[in-house]
Amino acid sequence: MPIHAPHAHLYDSVKLEVAKAKLGHEGRKSLYAPLNLVAYIDMMTMLVIFLLMSFSATGEILFVQKNIVLPDAQNWTELERAPVIGVSKDVVTLDGSQVATADELMKDSSTGDFKIAELHDKLVTLKNNYKLLHPSEEFNGIAIIQSDKNVEFKMLKKIMYSCAVAGYQNVNFAVTPKAKGGGSGPAM
Amino acid sequence: MSVSVESGNKGGKKPLNADLNLVPYIDLLTCMVAFLLITAVWSQLARLEAHQKGQGQAGEDTPPEKVFKLVVLVNDSGFNLVADQDQQPIPKNGAGMYDYEKLGNELKKLKDTHADKTDIQVASDDTIKFEVLVRTMDTALSSRFPDISLIDSGGAGI
Repeated sequence: MPIHAPHAHLYDSVKLEVAKAKLGHEGRKSLYAPLNLVAYIDMMTMLVIFLLMSFSATGEILFVQKNIVLPDAQNWTELERAPVIGVSKDVVTLDGSQVATADELMKDSSTGDFKIAELHDKLVTLKNNYKLLHPSEEFNGIAIIQSDKNVEFKMLKKIMYSCAVAGYQNVNFAVTPKAKGGGSGPAM
Repeated sequence: MSVSVESGNKGGKKPLNADLNLVPYIDLLTCMVAFLLITAVWSQLARLEAHQKGQGQAGEDTPPEKVFKLVVLVNDSGFNLVADQDQQPIPKNGAGMYDYEKLGNELKKLKDTHADKTDIQVASDDTIKFEVLVRTMDTALSSRFPDISLIDSGGAGI
């Protein structure tokens, strides 16, 4: 009995005529259709390069809020992780939770005290938590104020005062970065 | 999924076609695209540094040295640049806009005469909008005054 190289075959009980014909090399046209993947791989490679270029290792520290329009600045620095105080025309928030309303801040205080009690207390708590979690590090006292560009300084100074009293001496303002040498921006 | 490389072999010998297996490469690309899309940061935001007069900093036991004081007072009529004892008003321009260009030029002149001076105070009235203050601080930073303090105009002592 001659010895053949092993190959795929169907049992007689299988009634697949087309498959039987293919395996028996009786078919006419090959059913093998190669898939052209060059364009797909090109597209994926371009996508990966674009996403790698816009990748940020620090992640998203500030989220754009729809009721806060940030001012532009040319001399900006990268964001650091710090408590974020959001100031819109209606409300003041600390890390997303409301601590005061604009109406309260625009009123002249009868006692002359600028401190916003709730904001101050929460900032002190955050400061104490930081010191507990990072006992070997020096507290840098940075807070980020993400304020709408039309907010008046009267509101901001009360927020800044509360930050200072709570130990956050270095207040940073969130801005939209603008390329140096770009347009002069809208006039004010 | 493979790509074959034709060798043009017609001699009837062993074909030299080589199949590149692209499955791992496509898997890698797909995983990278998924990861990068999830972690992508679409809104690029930055910060502008400012300081405040800290409590206790001004009230030290030792009397403060006589230092050159530089303050930009921002009010409704424009800027008032205070350099020690000299005051120079920089009113709004004809269109009623703050004159940042002139402020920048004046600050640059002061920087040229006081090269070691790095700190400046921006003192604001209550009604001044945040955008004006940011542009004022930005102008000061452009004029090489990196240590900016934002204070109330009442606390500037002018």
